[in-house]
Amino acid sequence: MNIGSVKQFGPTARGLVIGGVMGWAFLTLFPFYWTFVTSFKNLRIIVKGPTYFPFIDFQPSAHGWVELFTGVRGEMFKNLANSTMVGVSAALVATLFGTMAAYALTRYRFRVPLAAGLAFAIIAIGGYVGLTELGMKRFEAISLAFAVGLAVSVVLGNIKLPGPLLGNEDIVFWFISQRMFPPIVSAFALFLLYSEFGKAGFKMTDTYLGLTLCYIAFSLPIVVWLMRDFFEALPPEIEEAAIVDDVPVWRIFVQIVLPMVMPGLAATFMITLAFVWNEYLFALFLTNTTWQTLPILVASQISQRGDEWWALSTAALTAIVPMMLVVWLLGKLMRSGLMLGSIK
Amino acid sequence: MTQVTLENVSKSFNETTVISDFNLEIDNKEFVVLVGPSGCGKTTTLRMIAGLEQVSGGAIRFGDRDVTALRPGKRNCAMVFQNYALYPHMTVAQNITYGMRVRGAAEGEIKQALANAARTLDLEPYLDRLPKKLSGGQRQRVAIGRALVREPDVYLFDEPLSNLDAKLRIEMRVEIRDLHQRLETTIVYVTHDQVEAMTMADRVVVMNEGRIEQAADPITLYRQPANLFVAGFIGAPSMNFLPGKISGGTFTGDDGCSFPVPAARLGASGDLPKVVCGVRPEHVLADGASPAKVKQKIKVVEPLGPHTLQVGMVGKVQFTAQVPASRHANPDQEVELALDVDELHFFDATSGKSLAPKKT
Repeated sequence: MNIGSVKQFGPTARGLVIGGVMGWAFLTLFPFYWTFVTSFKNLRIIVKGPTYFPFIDFQPSAHGWVELFTGVRGEMFKNLANSTMVGVSAALVATLFGTMAAYALTRYRFRVPLAAGLAFAIIAIGGYVGLTELGMKRFEAISLAFAVGLAVSVVLGNIKLPGPLLGNEDIVFWFISQRMFPPIVSAFALFLLYSEFGKAGFKMTDTYLGLTLCYIAFSLPIVVWLMRDFFEALPPEIEEAAIVDDVPVWRIFVQIVLPMVMPGLAATFMITLAFVWNEYLFALFLTNTTWQTLPILVASQISQRGDEWWALSTAALTAIVPMMLVVWLLGKLMRSGLMLGSIK
Repeated sequence: MTQVTLENVSKSFNETTVISDFNLEIDNKEFVVLVGPSGCGKTTTLRMIAGLEQVSGGAIRFGDRDVTALRPGKRNCAMVFQNYALYPHMTVAQNITYGMRVRGAAEGEIKQALANAARTLDLEPYLDRLPKKLSGGQRQRVAIGRALVREPDVYLFDEPLSNLDAKLRIEMRVEIRDLHQRLETTIVYVTHDQVEAMTMADRVVVMNEGRIEQAADPITLYRQPANLFVAGFIGAPSMNFLPGKISGGTFTGDDGCSFPVPAARLGASGDLPKVVCGVRPEHVLADGASPAKVKQKIKVVEPLGPHTLQVGMVGKVQFTAQVPASRHANPDQEVELALDVDELHFFDATSGKSLAPKKT
């Protein structure tokens, strides 16, 4: 769409527009510049007060980068690798499963009795409390209660029960509602749950699996919510044409639907990855040394010796640059206009 | 042999009944058009034949096969949609052959089918293009090509020409009609455009509110409409309706006109206090020699070239008359129109049914 250009304004208005845009650009770009410049400072330069121009204001020093690469300030590269592995796998799995869930919620009609959901809550919570009171160990109790609760609710969901029926909209709201309460509420509970797993001989805290699973669970609602919008924008006739042509459902999904929502998929993957990459709270609770992620390391640079800005800046840049690369790569995918021409 | 049979088919969405007790038999190689105003259930009927909608009651058969419970892919029909529904990320060739590849057809067979379809539909130069690089007419031809290679028992078209501009629509109309003659297959075609229905169909099924109003060949629909709805829906411009009564073989209109009704137009029914006399605009006589005359107060004159339409009022109802182009009349003028009594239609105003004797 083209609704005009800056040329249609008078000289004053044009000046204001260009000035405003430049001002905004300065506002957004300056923090990057500041971080970049500061990463080349050391204690002596910093105590002299603010300086902005290397070689003019101050003589740049590679001190911060040397510290970073030699591992004086914590194992930056281990944390970078951790963040990458956890982030990419969590974003991939969440996008994969969330996309399938969103597709099902867009194209199939679900009717789940509210009673089935209530039965799960009652059996899972009540069963856990009851079993522990009876002297069963917590891990065994929670596993049993959840398994029975899930099985019962699946059976109940498929039979006619009195009471209200939940439709697709309710299921989507249920997904999204999990992101409405502050994460701290579940962070603590999750830590306790993981500890119980550990006591039962299955280590979840400070492990790749534990952290990744937690991030998948918390990314799924966003993925479902975002992807559902993309699927709803697709004309159903394209899939119907394939259905009439006897194409199996999974092939329709993989070979026809997914290529059409590729831009949306890229955007969703990126948002999920950015969420996991930036996440601090769960990483703080659920890891300590082995699977510590970048945000924890960056924050830990603010030490008791005072704010060591060069260390903070190098760490921050290490965290920012990979994400900028991802945005650049996926941004290309997002702009591809695949949908044009199938209809109209 | 009957190719498609719909037997007591009904369809309801939640509480709303869209189609009730629908019976239709479509012969092998017949071109049947379902036509009606929007919301009349014609697309739902087509989607039930395709299997994209489940019937709420009744049965659908293809030949001897009961397909009522079969999923769409197992029914062996091909469907062409209004918005083409091409796979946007596949080239024309891939779009056409995708279904065959999924079904695991041999490479040689696929090549042969693609070549045939491309030749039939003049798509040879475009096989490597993506749909977005094609014009609307070309896209619709690709969609038809996708249906061709399926070699289905029945072709289903859901308003395939509605997205095309007027000129292209007339061209495609001829192309599809021509295709039907060459392929010799059964086609069920849905449209809301009565001209499309009349020009293409072997048999037109006029639908309204989920029911069949009349199913007949185009000329019968035009000359012997079964009821007021069909009479008003078929023909352009629409038939004029003059309310009145019949007593002693004479029609007396509410506007004051009075003339004897030919016995051939009236069948066995005798005197009726409430009837509607239907007059097609083209059955206003040029020379004025007729016992049936009405006075029209002209509102608008539409010169079309070959003839002129005079739109105005007769009594309290709107009346359109087709008159020779040489005649000049002005708005607000009152003119006398002579009606061709042998082409008049009479309907029972209460039931809407035609009073004409059933054709023999």
